Amino acid sequence: MSQTKRKADFLIDTRGVQRALDAFVVAARFSRDNATVAFALGDGTVRLVTVADPAGDWRSVDVHEGAVLSFATGTGPADFVSGGDDGKLRRIAAAGEAADIAGFGMKWVEQVASHALDKGKGLIAAGVGKVVHLFDETGKKLKEWTHPSTVTGLTFDGKGKRVATSHYNGATLWFVAAKVDTPRKLEWKGSHIALAMHPEGDAVVTAMQENSLHGWGLPEGKHMRMSGYPSKTQSLSFSKGGKWLASSGSDAMVLWPFFGGGPMGKAPIELAGGDGINCTQVAANPRDDIVAGGFEDGLVVVADIGSSRILPVVPPGQGPVTALAWSADGTRLAVGTEKGLAGIVDFAKRS
Amino acid sequence: MSDTPNDLIPVTVLTGYLGAGKTTLLNRILTENHGRKYAVVINEFGELGVDNDLVVDTDEEVFEMNNGCICCTVRGDLIRIVGGLMKRREKFDGIIIETTGLANPAPVAQTFFVDEGVKARTRLDAIVTVVDAKHLPLRLADSHEAEDQIAFADVIILNKTDLVTPDELEAVEARIKAINRHAIIHRTQRSEVAIDQVLNRGAFDLSRILAFEPDFLDGDDDHEHNEDIASLSFELEKPIDPEKFNAWIGALLQEQGQDLLRTKGILSYAGEPRRFAFQAVHMIADGDFIGNWKEGDPRVSRIVFIGRKLNRPRLRRGFEGCAAD
Repeated sequence: MSQTKRKADFLIDTRGVQRALDAFVVAARFSRDNATVAFALGDGTVRLVTVADPAGDWRSVDVHEGAVLSFATGTGPADFVSGGDDGKLRRIAAAGEAADIAGFGMKWVEQVASHALDKGKGLIAAGVGKVVHLFDETGKKLKEWTHPSTVTGLTFDGKGKRVATSHYNGATLWFVAAKVDTPRKLEWKGSHIALAMHPEGDAVVTAMQENSLHGWGLPEGKHMRMSGYPSKTQSLSFSKGGKWLASSGSDAMVLWPFFGGGPMGKAPIELAGGDGINCTQVAANPRDDIVAGGFEDGLVVVADIGSSRILPVVPPGQGPVTALAWSADGTRLAVGTEKGLAGIVDFAKRS
Repeated sequence: MSDTPNDLIPVTVLTGYLGAGKTTLLNRILTENHGRKYAVVINEFGELGVDNDLVVDTDEEVFEMNNGCICCTVRGDLIRIVGGLMKRREKFDGIIIETTGLANPAPVAQTFFVDEGVKARTRLDAIVTVVDAKHLPLRLADSHEAEDQIAFADVIILNKTDLVTPDELEAVEARIKAINRHAIIHRTQRSEVAIDQVLNRGAFDLSRILAFEPDFLDGDDDHEHNEDIASLSFELEKPIDPEKFNAWIGALLQEQGQDLLRTKGILSYAGEPRRFAFQAVHMIADGDFIGNWKEGDPRVSRIVFIGRKLNRPRLRRGFEGCAAD
């Protein structure tokens, strides 16, 4: 990795824009039309950046009274949804207006996800304590699902038909259209702290308190155990088509193969490791077999999964990496750190 | 990144039965003009009569670690809350966690030993237990939890002293001491106590682990009592063999960890100029070298056990067996 630490080599300097925002970057997301990138911060603001003009004005919108805790792309082409420790679930338009979807009093809104359906329709799910609240694209409440303990992970499947949640002692699959809610329960004892769903619906994977991953192959529910992490996995990301599952929690990006009979009985591949610094964030590119990784020292790299070639993106020094997101067309990467560095890097081919 | 102890956020755990005066104490801490801001984690929201924009309402969610240690229970909600509060770290100086009246303090304490993320950001400062001088005997009679809360405490606020006679007060304090001789007791009315007696105690700080021992080994703690929980302390003047001590304490915690609520010690290792400090909550132990023994001070090793089913002669023999040859 030593060659990656030469400053001139970092893509953020040659192909990126960065700013010091002076607050914990909780999440970064691109709008569905790829025109706007949003950084959600620990000071309760969201910063909106026009992708075509990242060196221009970064608009600051006051969204929550405390910190943003959860943040997702919205259901429309140019909006976002945000959950805060002020108990609010809000929608932010790329133009800059913020509006309430719902309020939950003193409870933290720790999880949020959305799914865009056809004809401008969509679904928004918010995890508030033990309950997941489901809304349509207008913010109308459709239903709520109660869990035995607080929801720690929340995601829609690739089609928006199911919602997967993680919590104590396993995960649950809820069916959005069900008249009577009879969830599929995926059980495994212990505290499950994060969740990812295979994009083709082949598996649900959780991260556990005891530095390991647990998975359930679908539909049969076959258990998968993926262990060997020196610390907790906080970030999980499936690559295009669900071929690989990238994970944080080790001193490398750890990628488990979800093909050829894997992940059980197969060794994961490790990318960008070897210097003893913990990986804190991973984000698989939605178009190519490429994965971005962020580390505890602030280093961000992008790795080609096939060749293991590493491109250095952001140098160390700005605090642990806390946010990574690709644009839907896979050409841009947004990064954020605990100390408030936010950046956008352009990977588009230049002729 | 927080890697120096000064960057670690102090966490105070406030326990006590409903009605003992916990909320009054909490309100006092939050309204007193001490120039510090506290994030407060509560379970019984609605009682807190003070405006504080850093109040977090949570359900106590205890789970058992899958690490083969049967009594290793942890509060998952606190792990999440600490993570969430770190997103606005600059807004507060400390965290106060109020537990429900019936809570066992062990899972809260163990969370601060077990979770790497919590350990990297915070330090457990002290467990403060508020008890009601009038109703404590009743509570001790009808529940394990009241006793556990006293046994775990570093500081005990013996409240509502105006509701009992001087004799009753002496009797109730004697019962508290029979359970936990090593906590500092403050007699109060309406939870009135100097805030610096409650916050920033450093009771779990290894370098101060036995610094606040009131009357360590004053006389004999063998006096008869009927409490289920007791505290025992031993001293050893001979230097200790670290290998023998590790073997003994490891086996003891493994075998009797469920009954040993808290264990604390400062040890003089043979040929070692530094003091070795040690503590455990049930089976989860932590130890490190702290500053040198002071010139001229006696190098005496001390160990304290608070727990159930303590076999005094056996513990004494075990500890004495750790002496270096």
